[in-house]
Amino acid sequence: MTRETIALKIKRQDAPGAKPYWNVFKLPYLPHANVISCLQEIQRNPVTADGKTVTPVTWDCNCLEEVCGSCTMLINGRVRQACTALVDILEDPIVLKPMSKFPVVRDLQVDRSRMFENLKKIKGWIEIDGSYDIGEGPVFPEKIREKAYALSQCMTCGCCLEACPQFTLTNDFMGAATFSQVRYFNLHPTGAMNKEERLEAVMKSGGIADCGNAQVCVEVCPKKIPLTESIAEIGRETTLQLLKNLVLK
Amino acid sequence: MSKLTKEDLHFFLLKLHSLTGIVPIGIFLTFHLAINSLRTVGVRQYQFSIDLINNLPFLFGIEVLFIYVPLLLHSALGFYITFAGRINVRRYPYYHNWMYTLQRITGAVVFAFLVYHMGTTVVPKIYYGKELFDAAPFLIDAMNREFQTWGGRTLYLAGIFSAVFHFANGLWGFCVSWGVIVGPAAQRNAGVVFILFGLVLGLLGAATVVEFSLHPVPVAPSLAG
Repeated sequence: MTRETIALKIKRQDAPGAKPYWNVFKLPYLPHANVISCLQEIQRNPVTADGKTVTPVTWDCNCLEEVCGSCTMLINGRVRQACTALVDILEDPIVLKPMSKFPVVRDLQVDRSRMFENLKKIKGWIEIDGSYDIGEGPVFPEKIREKAYALSQCMTCGCCLEACPQFTLTNDFMGAATFSQVRYFNLHPTGAMNKEERLEAVMKSGGIADCGNAQVCVEVCPKKIPLTESIAEIGRETTLQLLKNLVLK
Repeated sequence: MSKLTKEDLHFFLLKLHSLTGIVPIGIFLTFHLAINSLRTVGVRQYQFSIDLINNLPFLFGIEVLFIYVPLLLHSALGFYITFAGRINVRRYPYYHNWMYTLQRITGAVVFAFLVYHMGTTVVPKIYYGKELFDAAPFLIDAMNREFQTWGGRTLYLAGIFSAVFHFANGLWGFCVSWGVIVGPAAQRNAGVVFILFGLVLGLLGAATVVEFSLHPVPVAPSLAG
């Protein structure tokens, strides 16, 4: 079947807190097009299906190869990256909405700084220097490196949080991505020096105990990161830390 | 331990929520259903077991400390957890998301059922002072009446199955949350084991309901009270 045109139905919002509205755009069909190239087409010619010229739709994107996570949005109701959403295999009309669990900046752009704040809380980095020399890093066993590599692919896209029933716009739940990063940095031999601090950062309100094990995170993760394994592993570590704190502190 | 902050308390209470679901509530549920299923063996065995429980020393204290307080705590925290999230199983209809959703629904059903169940057993038992050997005839009489109607049977089956599901699935959730089962294979296998466990408990409950419905045998006190 050859298609002449494709339709894009886009949920728009002019400013944070403004009332959302919908625009429908009709674009000429191009084989191998993705959602980003359609949005670029709208940017070139921002005329709706009923002939009205509107402001171009705004969105975030960067790498265009599903490694940066910035073009994450709801495409036909499902959270995913726009760059790898191919028009040829999407149902028409293509419905685009901004993620619902993060505050909208404008149109399809959302503010995901909550994820960044959580990474800061868990010390999502490896301390390599300070006021004193902490010396050379220990050897990294290959088995652990393999495990860590899988976790390192997290691009903070927020799919796991968007799909999580326990993560809402208003509560303080940290969510799968953050817990998996605690595991990631604790796996590193040098990173393990701050293991307790990271664990204690998720033993708080919004932390690991708030997880309801709906396990949708692992289903929607575009990088197939073993998020539920990370959650159980951090669950184990924090349980042991709790017992340790009870008897040692 | 250093000074407990509000943030620490939150973590502590949620851990307590999942722990109380197993000890003592889950253990109580298992014994409750197992002992009641003695009714299918015979009325005397059943009455004897109820006599045994109702003649325990410090019964009221045991009930308050090991049943009512944990149950209230577990329920209150459960509703808090439920309202902190937003169910989205229609958009993301995966197996464990269904379990997550059903866990919350069955929790609410069990809570409503327990208000009725305790309101028609424990409360009148205490109100009319039916203690020691008087308790069994009083409670068995109440149950005989409940299972005369389809309404009562449905109510009890809904309550029992909800409680059993909530406990079996809660066991799985507990094992994941506390890091007892970590890998995907371990989580899957444990899921199967807990389903089988739930089926056995559910069967015990259902058999008791059927026995009561078919043979509502009234009893007199075993010994002169």
